[in-house]
Amino acid sequence: MSSVANKIPVTVLTGFLGSGKTTLLNRILSDNHGKRIAVIENEFGEVGVDNELVIGAEEEIFEMNNGCICCTVRGDLIRILGNLMKRRDRFDHIMIETTGLADPGPVAQTFFMDDDLQSAMSLDGIVTLVDARHVLDHFDDSAEVREQIAFADVILLNKIDLATAEQLDQLEARIHAMNAAARIYRTRDAAIGMERILGLGGFDLQRALQIDPKFLEPEYPFEWSGAYELEPGEYTFVMGAGPDPAMNACLRRIEAADEPGMRDAVETAVRIYSDTEQPLAPGGAMTPGALLFQLDLAGGPGRFRVLIAERGAYALFTEHHPDEFSAYLADASGDSRQPLATREYKPDHEHDDEVSSVGITTPGDLDLEKFQGWLRELLATKGTDIFRMKGVLSFRNSDRRYVFQGVHMLFDGREDRPWGAETRHNSLIFIGRNLDRAELNAGFDACLA
Amino acid sequence: MFSVKGKDASSVGTREVWRACVDDFIIDLAWSPQGDRLAAVTVDGRVFLSDLSGPPRCLGSHADGAASVAWRSDGKELATGGQDGLIRIWDPATGGATRQLAAGGAWVAKVAYRPRGGELAAAAGKMLRLWDAAGTVVYESADHASTVSDLAWNPDGSGVATTAYLGVTLHVAGRVAPPRKLTWKGSSLALAWSPSSRYIATGEQDSTVHFWHIKTGRDAQMWGFPRKVLELSWHHGGNHLATGGSDTVVLWDCGGKGPEGRTPAMLEGHPTRITQLAFQPRGELLASADAEGSVLWWYPLRGTRPAAGRVFLTEISRLAWDAAGKRVAVGERAGTLTVVEVAP
Repeated sequence: MSSVANKIPVTVLTGFLGSGKTTLLNRILSDNHGKRIAVIENEFGEVGVDNELVIGAEEEIFEMNNGCICCTVRGDLIRILGNLMKRRDRFDHIMIETTGLADPGPVAQTFFMDDDLQSAMSLDGIVTLVDARHVLDHFDDSAEVREQIAFADVILLNKIDLATAEQLDQLEARIHAMNAAARIYRTRDAAIGMERILGLGGFDLQRALQIDPKFLEPEYPFEWSGAYELEPGEYTFVMGAGPDPAMNACLRRIEAADEPGMRDAVETAVRIYSDTEQPLAPGGAMTPGALLFQLDLAGGPGRFRVLIAERGAYALFTEHHPDEFSAYLADASGDSRQPLATREYKPDHEHDDEVSSVGITTPGDLDLEKFQGWLRELLATKGTDIFRMKGVLSFRNSDRRYVFQGVHMLFDGREDRPWGAETRHNSLIFIGRNLDRAELNAGFDACLA
Repeated sequence: MFSVKGKDASSVGTREVWRACVDDFIIDLAWSPQGDRLAAVTVDGRVFLSDLSGPPRCLGSHADGAASVAWRSDGKELATGGQDGLIRIWDPATGGATRQLAAGGAWVAKVAYRPRGGELAAAAGKMLRLWDAAGTVVYESADHASTVSDLAWNPDGSGVATTAYLGVTLHVAGRVAPPRKLTWKGSSLALAWSPSSRYIATGEQDSTVHFWHIKTGRDAQMWGFPRKVLELSWHHGGNHLATGGSDTVVLWDCGGKGPEGRTPAMLEGHPTRITQLAFQPRGELLASADAEGSVLWWYPLRGTRPAAGRVFLTEISRLAWDAAGKRVAVGERAGTLTVVEVAP
């Protein structure tokens, strides 16, 4: 058995025609990363780098019937990768570029279903490029674009120069609601650091599960953030009456008062929002840090003090859009301070996407038999709709974490390191079509011991 | 590791008679019909020929890699196929390239000359193509459901069987009617005709082996293999088939009513997965090779203990008996070619 260390990592690039796959591929090949890369191309792109191996392939979908599991695999990849394995000493990484209309499912399933590939290669990650300007035209009528997003470990929202900030925010929120486990990056001309797309270990059990469970919630707990450049002193967050009697908010110090600076603080803000709120009556003071404040309006307008000790950039994350409360940040002389950058996190609720993520995070131990029975039934009846799932489970009578992942009906799981000092919990995510959140939650809860 | 103890009636001697290294994965090799020369092709595409008196000579190469090599039955022509979508014809007497046949720009998985004839068959991507001795295309099949994975001439020379996704297709050159199909909903990867043309055995992606009874079109499915089965070899008597697909050589008795309901013989001794299997032509010895470089010889119809063994340095990628059944050529992942004499 080969260990993960000497398996050749394979990255799959998906994305509609025109989303920038060829541009990204050319970047990967010309980047000075020192890796020898073999490319399997499914489309006639314009990849042209001399000392790399580029192989053309035509999609061949095979239906496989192994016992009770039916699935589709890519026969062309079994053949081509099988041949590449014979040259394995010469390549450090393999890239598979799929056609714009390809379903990533059979590609991922190929790595579960072929023993030879499984022992010599590892599916490192699925990287999906999205044309920020045109993807909305395809969202509703293309199952492929939704599946490419659902399967991704990394999503590049590309061609951001062709869309407005507001469009990008809405698109990103919508994509996040579909696939909460994927990392989303905004790019122009597919410019991205190689470390963000290669070496992800997306299908490696140990590494795939380093996602923070609190980040699995598909909807952001805040709707708006604004970045400010502030001097030391006292400011006031002025709020009018709004739709709710209270609103949560938190304030974070950030690197720079711009969009990327704010983006870096989003994950921390999500975590802060999962903590218990600290009630704050009008006149009370907010400070930057790890506290979530509940700004209590008690039905009327309110003014909340904001204390800044150090000069720098700050991001304010609010549960609702400040406009709903006619809210603004005022300085000591009462003048409104305009944010230097803003972002909205509210998905466009006109769209009820059939693809979504359901994250489950709960303490307690599971009963192995109950869980197996539930999962077997779930995969047998809903397997075609579940694109990916992964998670860490805590089983009664076991002192080790149990890690698992799956693609459609295929499942791979094993015992991991001991829980040790870590709090035992279960945290898993399903990404799929027509998922019933309440039913999944109830089914899972019934498996608790 | 296996061990061969004592020296009973069933043990045989093996002796290295020639060795060379071409520094790349040996993806195929073939003895000349007269047994005087050995041809080999590598994953990087080079074509080698040797008369076993010295190092092999590189005749040329296929861009993007080679896949298959075959001799014409008179030993006067050699064909190679590769991923450049070409079939190259070589003159073994001069070592020169005599002709190039186009396979339509697609992957050529296999080339094979008609037994006792001059026609050449090649898997040309999703098609089967046949050329006559002058290099004219005399048959072209419709597209198979996938790239053709394997092909073999009927031992009586009457036609060619191919495997691809959805089973076996039986082609007969010159026939107007569409070729006969032996359909299985799976991806067939390798095939072997029984010497009497009665059966075709196929190895499948879904880790099964199928026995197709040609006359009736009925098939029996053998399962229980831990991985896909690419290694298939028939005993010359036509009643026994050896299969790989694991660390154990499995010997199926296909005589009488066929293999169904019978327990096969298990030959255990390889420490790891079997990569090659070859019965001695007209003989009783079976050679088996594995991914760590061991080759074992067995008398599988007499017993389940190996009769001889030899260890090589790397995975055995290819193994072939000469037509006389006296020598075995062994090709390795690392590119070493060894010829071993086998004496009972």
